Amino acid sequence: MRTLNPACKFISLLAVTLLLAGLKDPWWNLSAFLVSLLLLLLSGIRMRTLLLYLLPVVLAAAGMFFTGYRFTAESAMPVRSDTFIFQGNSQLMNGILQLSRVLAYAGLGYLFALTTDRVFMVRSFQKQLHLPQVFAYGLLAAWGIFPHMALEYKRTKAAFRARGIRVYPVSPALLAPLLVKSVRWSEELSIAMESKGFSSNARRTDSSPVRVHARDILFTVFCCIMLPVTALLTH
Amino acid sequence: MGITFDNLSFKYSENLKPLVDKLGWSVDRRAITVLTGASGCGKSTLLYLAAGLYPENSGIITTGHVLIEGKDPAKLNPPERCRLVGMMFQNPELQFCMDTVRNEILFCLENIAIPQEEMEEKLRFSLDFCGIRDLENRALLSLSGGEKQKAALACVVAISPEWVLLDEPFANIDDMSARSIAAALGKLHKEKGVGILAVDHRLDNWIGIADNVAIMKDGRIIPEEIDVRNANPEKLRDLGIIAPGVHYAPSIPQPTPSDIVLEFHNLKACRGKKEILHGISASFRRGMIYAIIGESGSGKSTLFGALSGIFPYSGKALLDGKDIKHLKRSEAGMIGFITQNPQDQFVGGTVRDEILSSLRKDPEAASKSEEILRAIKLWRYRDISPYLLSQGQQRRLGTAALIAYDCHCLVCDEPTYAQDLMNTMAIMDALCREARERNIALIFSTHDRQLAADYADEILTLKEGQLYADSESSL
Repeated sequence: MRTLNPACKFISLLAVTLLLAGLKDPWWNLSAFLVSLLLLLLSGIRMRTLLLYLLPVVLAAAGMFFTGYRFTAESAMPVRSDTFIFQGNSQLMNGILQLSRVLAYAGLGYLFALTTDRVFMVRSFQKQLHLPQVFAYGLLAAWGIFPHMALEYKRTKAAFRARGIRVYPVSPALLAPLLVKSVRWSEELSIAMESKGFSSNARRTDSSPVRVHARDILFTVFCCIMLPVTALLTH
Repeated sequence: MGITFDNLSFKYSENLKPLVDKLGWSVDRRAITVLTGASGCGKSTLLYLAAGLYPENSGIITTGHVLIEGKDPAKLNPPERCRLVGMMFQNPELQFCMDTVRNEILFCLENIAIPQEEMEEKLRFSLDFCGIRDLENRALLSLSGGEKQKAALACVVAISPEWVLLDEPFANIDDMSARSIAAALGKLHKEKGVGILAVDHRLDNWIGIADNVAIMKDGRIIPEEIDVRNANPEKLRDLGIIAPGVHYAPSIPQPTPSDIVLEFHNLKACRGKKEILHGISASFRRGMIYAIIGESGSGKSTLFGALSGIFPYSGKALLDGKDIKHLKRSEAGMIGFITQNPQDQFVGGTVRDEILSSLRKDPEAASKSEEILRAIKLWRYRDISPYLLSQGQQRRLGTAALIAYDCHCLVCDEPTYAQDLMNTMAIMDALCREARERNIALIFSTHDRQLAADYADEILTLKEGQLYADSESSL
């Protein structure tokens, strides 16, 4: 998964997500989740890391299960329980459907996020999806600012505490200095990028061109054509 | 040929007076020139004008022009301009776009459309030139300030411009890193014929490297240029330049040490997963002034960050016998912090609010705040946001706000960062006098050993995560 072209991977996984959204079939969802986990493990993601990432997902899935179980659509509702494929125990199946959706979307999301290098992704989006270069590199530069933001948040909080002033996590007094700083940082960063020759419309060369290989096409065809056709035939 | 400023006037907005005023000056490419002068006199602005970044990004040129090697940099597009003039900035944190040193250098080469097959060779050359081959695949975020500046220099070497402009390149890094970067710049000038113009308040890192020193005052260049190698230190001092061997001549009362106010017992602090401080123990007395010195990355900011609650620590840090971790909210302000960047400590919406927030419990807060703001010459700006002040004004406000606060111990992280001689002395005199008069412990960090020697009663050195009294550190 790591060597797949990120643009192809993105389109393919998005297609699978949309397909699952239209299917309302918990077994497809659970299959997508299990395949995602398998691919993540095969891509070298450590089991411990994966379990940590899955913890909030499992909690959200459990929450969705009980919501779906408790609030099954009645016959008078616009969306009725008999529209679901599994009608044996619609309450239970509705809960499983909601749970499996959370797991499937999270699995597919993690599959993309944890197996894609961000620089490789931006280069690929720029080349294959024609993302404007000012947006692509602006995105990368902004990414570099996030760790500074976390530290600045702590610093600002410490400044208030040092003067005995109580602030809440999202208090405007705390966020105002952060906003001012982020504007200042973005200005400094854009000047630094410009001084290194970056321009939104000048011709650039590419140190490692991102190409589309046969395996990328196969993966895309599988996800965007074969899976939907199979789904159509089996439903 | 070189850089020519011809009758140049520049201001930041229509209703402000010009910061650069009918300036005429030529900089020779055959010499390395350092431009110095008081904080806020327009040195950095002049550099940004020479780099073609102004007026495109800010301000207005009212008269004249700048030419580099006969070309107006502002009229070139960024790829052409950066081949003519490259720039290194003061803040190493905010000059990178990519994630690793390798990707950043490749980003620069791509910008100037270097063919793919030549990139690897240029990348290797620039890394070797700056002696950072081992940092090639390191994440930029994980580098120290000095390493970041070397990576920035490697980017400049990769682009290979005709001129390199440097805006206080050593302000954030220790002396050893500064000297090694200055030596690399000297080599770049000698071997590649690259013209170098640097703005700096301190000249000691340029000894043996720079040829000339020019001084800027009131938007113009003082006619006489100084030969760095033969300059008289006293003359430099009179011109407001921080030069090696020149004492600061502090005017502060003698110390009267009293009881211990702050103690560390086996204090360990981490940044992320890395332990930076390996169990330091020390004590600080009221009425005394302590300087903490050490190389970049030795843990000065981590120590202060741990005291202010930004970084976790183990062991004990006791303020008046109470662990800092367990201070009540009303007691948290007993230890005051002056940060390297004054913007990090602003809590008020206006300049006056900033002072008033320190005087909340004082019944005469209104009159006292006026008195303080008049004393630091900021009364006329009382109703504007502190972020709209100049850097020097922000520094004065930040210092005054914390001095006004009733604390038992004042901790200052590089209070004179990027300040000229006069401002450095004014800030240190005010801090030290206040510490003596109110009998509080003052602890400040600095890269300037002379400043530490002149102002501190005790010098402590942070080295490899341990804190030593100055005489022990050299052992």
